[in-house]
Amino acid sequence: MDTVRNLFALVLFPSGLFLLAASLAYEWVDRKLLAQFQNRIGPRWFQPFADVVKLLSKEEVVPRGVDRTLFLGLPIVGLAAALTAALYVPLAGLAPSFSFSGDLIVAIYLLSVLTLCMGLAGSNTIGRFSLVGATRTLTQLFSYEAPFLLALLGPALAAGTWRISDISLYARDHWLILTQPIGFIVAVIGLMGKLELPPFDAPEAETEIVAGALTEYSGRGLALFRLGKGVEMVIGLTLVAAFFLGGVATPLLFLVKTLGLLLVVAGLQAVLARLRIDQTVGLWWRYGTLLVFVQWLLIVLLREVRL
Amino acid sequence: MEPRIEVERFTIPMGPQHPALKEPGRFRITVEGEIVTQAVVRLGYAHRGIEKAAESRNWIRNQYLFERICGICSHIHATAYCLGVERLAGVEVPPRAQVIRVLVAELERIHSHLLWLGVAGHEAGFDTLFMYSWRDREAIMDVLEALTGNRVNYSANVLGGVKCDVDDALRDAILKAVDVLEKRTHHYLKVVTTDALFLQRTRGIGVMTRSQAEVLGAVGPTARASGVARDVRVEAPYAAYSSFPVQIVVDARGDLEARVVVRMRELFECYRLVREILDHLPTGEVRGRMPRRVPEGETVSRVEAPRGELFYFLKSNGSDTPERVRVRTPTICNMTSVVRLVVGHQLADVPMILAGIDPCFSCNDRVIDVDRVGRSPEQWTWEQLRAHGVDTYHGHRP
Repeated sequence: MDTVRNLFALVLFPSGLFLLAASLAYEWVDRKLLAQFQNRIGPRWFQPFADVVKLLSKEEVVPRGVDRTLFLGLPIVGLAAALTAALYVPLAGLAPSFSFSGDLIVAIYLLSVLTLCMGLAGSNTIGRFSLVGATRTLTQLFSYEAPFLLALLGPALAAGTWRISDISLYARDHWLILTQPIGFIVAVIGLMGKLELPPFDAPEAETEIVAGALTEYSGRGLALFRLGKGVEMVIGLTLVAAFFLGGVATPLLFLVKTLGLLLVVAGLQAVLARLRIDQTVGLWWRYGTLLVFVQWLLIVLLREVRL
Repeated sequence: MEPRIEVERFTIPMGPQHPALKEPGRFRITVEGEIVTQAVVRLGYAHRGIEKAAESRNWIRNQYLFERICGICSHIHATAYCLGVERLAGVEVPPRAQVIRVLVAELERIHSHLLWLGVAGHEAGFDTLFMYSWRDREAIMDVLEALTGNRVNYSANVLGGVKCDVDDALRDAILKAVDVLEKRTHHYLKVVTTDALFLQRTRGIGVMTRSQAEVLGAVGPTARASGVARDVRVEAPYAAYSSFPVQIVVDARGDLEARVVVRMRELFECYRLVREILDHLPTGEVRGRMPRRVPEGETVSRVEAPRGELFYFLKSNGSDTPERVRVRTPTICNMTSVVRLVVGHQLADVPMILAGIDPCFSCNDRVIDVDRVGRSPEQWTWEQLRAHGVDTYHGHRP
């Protein structure tokens, strides 16, 4: 029975097919919203799906000078890591399939594996654009990762546990956005950095380095990386909504809160100009990290006072 | 033995095909980390042999050929050409035609600057600005279509005058479009001077001092943003600019922000000029008589294109075709400033600095780049030229 349940969790829900479908749907919502903000019409609802199908059916060109195994393997590892992270997250308002003490760290680590894979994929090739893109991807990883993790640890501190399911249970009765507004802002912006959305899209700034780390990718590899990004977006939105926005107790609440968050994210994408990579690093280490530490200090002090 | 430290030179090829360039041009950017240490430009990918082609077409057909040098500023090319030919032929252009030429030129400047604002926004990763300014630009495109029948390559000029006239309905339509755009331009000027993230990409970036601008021979808004008050419309008024004087917009700061601000403020000047022209349109004919043959002689014709000074040299041998036409577009004058200014900046600033001069590669490609490495004989045989071409375009030199 356990095997069947595990298999179900891996292949259908919450990981696997459900998550892939959800990621495509969320990608469409994001693109559509951004288009509407920019006074464009935007893609039709099945466009992300059609993109993936098209990419999967295309020939995958392996350029000269790359390690073939790595080139073909990295997209699979990246997507697998992102999908695995979903097992610990309260997707669609249901309890996570698996859960253990400290799984918050594991989930965030698994999400970073995808970014790491993209960085490695870029540095694996000999293309100039890929190499610069890879450097930027990894530089960005080191700048937003710490503040993002620290921001998500704020609710963990408040709840007194590092288990995602327990934190989200605690958050259902406490709208942590009210008590930890700084943490919420840093988490949302950190999520945008993680997803390399504008204004943090320097790693794939098309006007400078074409498509960044993924310039040499076409066909299946590109499709898998893009799916991975979509999965990362759904998981990230779920985590932030579950932790800060009063929890996601039911599928309806999940939908409303994550889509509301996506609206904010799309709006920010529309109104902000791209940051240079040095400005991104400066922003995170000069302001993001400091702000989160201030938040932490407040949490700890308030707890002391209450005790 | 002393350890030899070799700094590895990492060059990033931008172009001939690159998302930042809408036209083919090639920049070899040498970087150390993200800092640019050297930039080399290579042009000539869109050389179309227009000057040579002009020698086998008659004076009338050539106007339409020269309009096609640039899709964005086609009218100003035709104006420069017509002014020169009319001077050679000694033809007087009726006042109403001259004023309409200026009107179309200013409308063209509005659409060119709005287009540029969008491109600059796109290069800065600010696509919303791009989408909005291009949407608003449609108002001017509609007006140009109503006035001349075309959205681009409008051919408002003919030798000896213009082919279109302004009636009352058209006048109201133009005024309405200008009113709308003026409001929008106020908004854009506010955005580009107050948006913190956009300013981070423009303020203090690509600073060109006044003396640099003079030495490098910068023209147009690029030079005016470095404090060089140079504008052909003021220095040597052509067409009807002597009766409708232009205020030069100058900014002394010389950075990218100044280049944006100068172009935005020039838009207000355009709006003012368009209104003034529509209020004081002289009456009368819009075309004069033009002979088929142009008397022997040569002349120079200078006009202010949206990107800067546009220069035409015309030589006639008395027949119905020109003997020689030479065109120099503003982009070629500003290009040297790009390769100079990007050094020391971040790689991310290169597209911005390049966009800052509002480059138009296809317009400036006039000459073939002949053998730079080896000896360059005065005359090439067909076989030599062919071998050179195969060698150059085969990709890598052995």
